[in-house]
Amino acid sequence: MIQVKQLTKNYGATLAIDKLDFQVEKGEIVGFLGPNGAGKSTTMRILAGSLSASSGEAMVGGVDVFNDPRKVKSMVGYLPEFPPLYTDMTVRSYLRFCARIKRADEPKKAVERVIDQVGLTKVAHRLIDHLSKGFRQRVGIAQALVHSPSVLILDEPASGLDPAQRVEIRSLVKGLSDGETTVILSTHVLPEVEAVCDRVVIINKGLIVGQGSMDQLAGSGTSVNLRVARPDEALLQRLKDVDDVSVVSDLGDGKYTIAAGSDVREEVARRAVDAGLLELGASRALEDTYLKLTGGE
Amino acid sequence: MAILHIAWRELRALFSTAIGWMVLCGFLSITGVLWFIWLAEYADQQAKMAFNPYGGASLSVTEALLIPWFGNCALILIFMAPALSMRMFAEEYKQRTMELLFTSPISTLEIVLGKYLGTVCFAVVMLLCTAHVPATLYYWGQPEFGAVAGSYLATFLLASLIIAMGMFCSSMTTNQVVALSMSFAASLVLWVAAFAGSDPDALLSHIGLTTHLQEMYGGSVRLSDLVYFGTGILVFIFATHQRLESHRWS
Repeated sequence: MIQVKQLTKNYGATLAIDKLDFQVEKGEIVGFLGPNGAGKSTTMRILAGSLSASSGEAMVGGVDVFNDPRKVKSMVGYLPEFPPLYTDMTVRSYLRFCARIKRADEPKKAVERVIDQVGLTKVAHRLIDHLSKGFRQRVGIAQALVHSPSVLILDEPASGLDPAQRVEIRSLVKGLSDGETTVILSTHVLPEVEAVCDRVVIINKGLIVGQGSMDQLAGSGTSVNLRVARPDEALLQRLKDVDDVSVVSDLGDGKYTIAAGSDVREEVARRAVDAGLLELGASRALEDTYLKLTGGE
Repeated sequence: MAILHIAWRELRALFSTAIGWMVLCGFLSITGVLWFIWLAEYADQQAKMAFNPYGGASLSVTEALLIPWFGNCALILIFMAPALSMRMFAEEYKQRTMELLFTSPISTLEIVLGKYLGTVCFAVVMLLCTAHVPATLYYWGQPEFGAVAGSYLATFLLASLIIAMGMFCSSMTTNQVVALSMSFAASLVLWVAAFAGSDPDALLSHIGLTTHLQEMYGGSVRLSDLVYFGTGILVFIFATHQRLESHRWS
């Protein structure tokens, strides 16, 4: 669906992205991961048609972004890092304006559909200026969706939101993957990528330093975090006996961290039930990989 | 059609912000007060002539009332039209809403023309609100239709040119006050240019705004005047277009 070859962008003497090569298949959710200033937003802006490249190729749906930007823009929905909102308009009138300039089929119906889809029904009549940050972000996502694009580009869709709003936006984005819509989202929050994306492209200093599925990048290692109500020595031993577990650390107050060579959550849960299992979470070794690749160690 | 949607949005924005209403009310208040001043002056002159045994025909409402008043309107527009245009792109940059327009399937020219058309429409509304002036004159006297139409055309063209200039200034900066200052300074330079040169054939005189307004106020529309305003508007629309395009390449 998206093919990028040797894409380069200079801002004067500064090289923002350097000969990027990647592709995204139809229906995939791909995360752009990288520190601030890595070149994620520049790449997204080029794909969305708001910025030109210095050299290289970018194709969306088989159409060249630079030769036929209009056609590409009609296929792409874009949410910049700061949602482009006219705060003097109501949600509904703003989305109608967006639907019209984005040439959506039946703009009024498209607006009602998208209001329903992103959960804006209760605030549709309100001025955008009076909305919370979370709702503003939803309006931003709604404008990107209003013309039913086949590619959705979201630049840090959950940035600046509180944890509850982040979860909401995350589930909203996850819900957009219908197998037809291709989604690219950028973030520097690893759990967000793990929760939402099928694949990751890691960018650092304008270069792609790693790409692949979550398993490929993280390896098969898992770190399990466990909390039980009644910790005891027997439980510690039972956890150590789980296949593939290398280290079990007792953090006190019933908290344990278990390092394992594979996903051992199911077995750990089974063994911790008798000790009053309260919480069970896992993080992959993606963080280590990310830090290594971006030089953040 | 995208041009019309953008124009409508621009017009709505002017009516939903304080600056639009301030300009509209300010323009109507000042021109209204000036109208009463000119009217009183005209009545005074007329009375003096009535009692003057050597006095000839009565004063023409067109020359003694309408044309001077439209001249004042033009000067007020020099001050006020830049306030309409200052937000056109500076505000979009500041609010980061240009990204919405740039990533929509519309051309840069459609964006520029849409925003320009919306702001010019606001200026037309301002001018329409002064329609009570010729209406009153038609009720009480017999102003020349050509002068009324020519004066409105001149004022409309003047507003359109200042807005085009202001739009270009607005595309150069994210700061509305800077855009306002640039636009006002440029308008003022064009206004005084006509007075700077003593020779009517001098270049400055041709560049000056008033040179191209005077004949139109009298109802005579010269091709050279239309070309002056038309060219000026097109030049600034083109310059704004190029300025926006340069953003993509920056």
